Amino acid sequence: MRDGSRMTWLRVVTAYLRLNIAEELQYRANFIASLLGTLFWIGTALLTLGLFFRHTTRLGGWDFWEVVVLLGVFNALNGVIEAVLRPGIGQLASEVRSGSLDLLLARPVDAQLLVSFRQLDLWRITDVVMGLSLAGYALARLHRTPTALQVAAFLVALAAAVVVVYAIWVALMSLAFWFVSVENLSVLFDALYEGARYPVTAYPAALRFVFVYLLPIAWTTTIPASALTGRLGPAVALAAAAVGATAFFLTRVLWRTALRRYTGASG
Amino acid sequence: MSGGFALWTRRYAAMIRNAWLVNLQYRASIVLWVLWGVTEPAIALGIWWAIAGDGAVGGYARADFARYFFGVMLVNALTIAWDSWQLDHWIREGDLNYRLARPINPVHESLADNLAYKARSAGTILLVWLIAASVWPAVRLPLDPGRWALVAVAVSFAAAMRFFISFTTGLLAFWTTRATAIMELHAGVAMFLAGRVAPLALLPPAVATIAQFLWFPYMLAFPVALLTGAAPTTGELILGFGGQVIWLAVWIAAYRLAWQRGLRRYGAVGG
Repeated sequence: MRDGSRMTWLRVVTAYLRLNIAEELQYRANFIASLLGTLFWIGTALLTLGLFFRHTTRLGGWDFWEVVVLLGVFNALNGVIEAVLRPGIGQLASEVRSGSLDLLLARPVDAQLLVSFRQLDLWRITDVVMGLSLAGYALARLHRTPTALQVAAFLVALAAAVVVVYAIWVALMSLAFWFVSVENLSVLFDALYEGARYPVTAYPAALRFVFVYLLPIAWTTTIPASALTGRLGPAVALAAAAVGATAFFLTRVLWRTALRRYTGASG
Repeated sequence: MSGGFALWTRRYAAMIRNAWLVNLQYRASIVLWVLWGVTEPAIALGIWWAIAGDGAVGGYARADFARYFFGVMLVNALTIAWDSWQLDHWIREGDLNYRLARPINPVHESLADNLAYKARSAGTILLVWLIAASVWPAVRLPLDPGRWALVAVAVSFAAAMRFFISFTTGLLAFWTTRATAIMELHAGVAMFLAGRVAPLALLPPAVATIAQFLWFPYMLAFPVALLTGAAPTTGELILGFGGQVIWLAVWIAAYRLAWQRGLRRYGAVGG
């Protein structure tokens, strides 16, 4: 990015946000549908958890309400995914295929920024609110009031989680530059992300290794939930921030490499 | 009607071949869908594996869970149907129109697509199972031709039932724009009642009893139990196949009703 472009990108993001709000307000029925969908989803997730806990008292060392805190975090992140990532970067594969990406590349703003924030599905932000409320309710059931430091650590870890999820999406979607015929790349994310619904300690050792280091989805739900319940000390927020920063740096590199390939192919 | 039979065989051969060749272009996409279908049971298995530990849960030890969820993966791949999404698209985008102009009911095209897709996806899963079974004795199945023949029949009934459920739900797009949401709702209930999250024996007894009176267990849990469970008693077989036949008949009747009523309505809008 050029010098002084920071103002530009802030202006671009606010402009897109305003456009999207205006657009979405026309479809208020979607708000109700989205709300009902979220309630149904949370209901099935809680019933599934209840089923597991009919036959055990702990899951990977976590008790029922601790896992519900994690489920709340999962749902909040899912809201970010559905509101921002799927309608934005999730469309990349079909845009590479159809060539409409050229139109975005021709604009005088950073292309990664445009691809990421141009389209938002704002009603799904309700998932974030409901997810965090669920986590709050579960905390109350645990009779645990987090300290200010724990809340701060949670917020840092959650922000890092959003960055990590974003990075995974960029990495997956960039595959479209190499394998043009694969249109449903987002399915790959959905498949992997299923694993983030439960604490990473509940899985066998090999799978745990994959979720912490190879595809770092453990950092997106297990770590923020642990910070909130006090299972991990506030220092974990620093580690989470480092993982988030690394993930962002890597996507930036990957994006540039992929784009160079794209320009090369069409030129 | 031997002439009729030959005609239909030729028709289906042509349609399946066509669908197979179309799918050939999307091989990578199909691998991704297969992967997506495999992760849900794999994660459920991981969790039950941890819960069972060295003991057993409701009669299921670790190896039983492994066999059960491998069975879920395979039977699910063999019985899956995407038709409600496709029909919703056909009806809303108008792609149904030229299909109605053809001298063959579009349901046959969907059925042929479904068979061609499964030949590929279920074949992939079968291959994965064979590889897994070669290194992991827990997921090996006894070679019992009689049992496998029963499984083949049960899977066919289940596949037919899920096809008509999906197709009929898709037909609701004649009346509402949220037909696919209804299908998602159905999938959510099926998570529990069809045995996707856990074997039915692990559900609360009242829920498991209610499930027996609905179609859900017969579209997945029954064939899976037949494939991976203990040898079934005659009573269990009668109950299972009886449930399959009755509910398949009900869903075919529902399909015919929805198709006739819906088409009348669709014609009225277009005309």
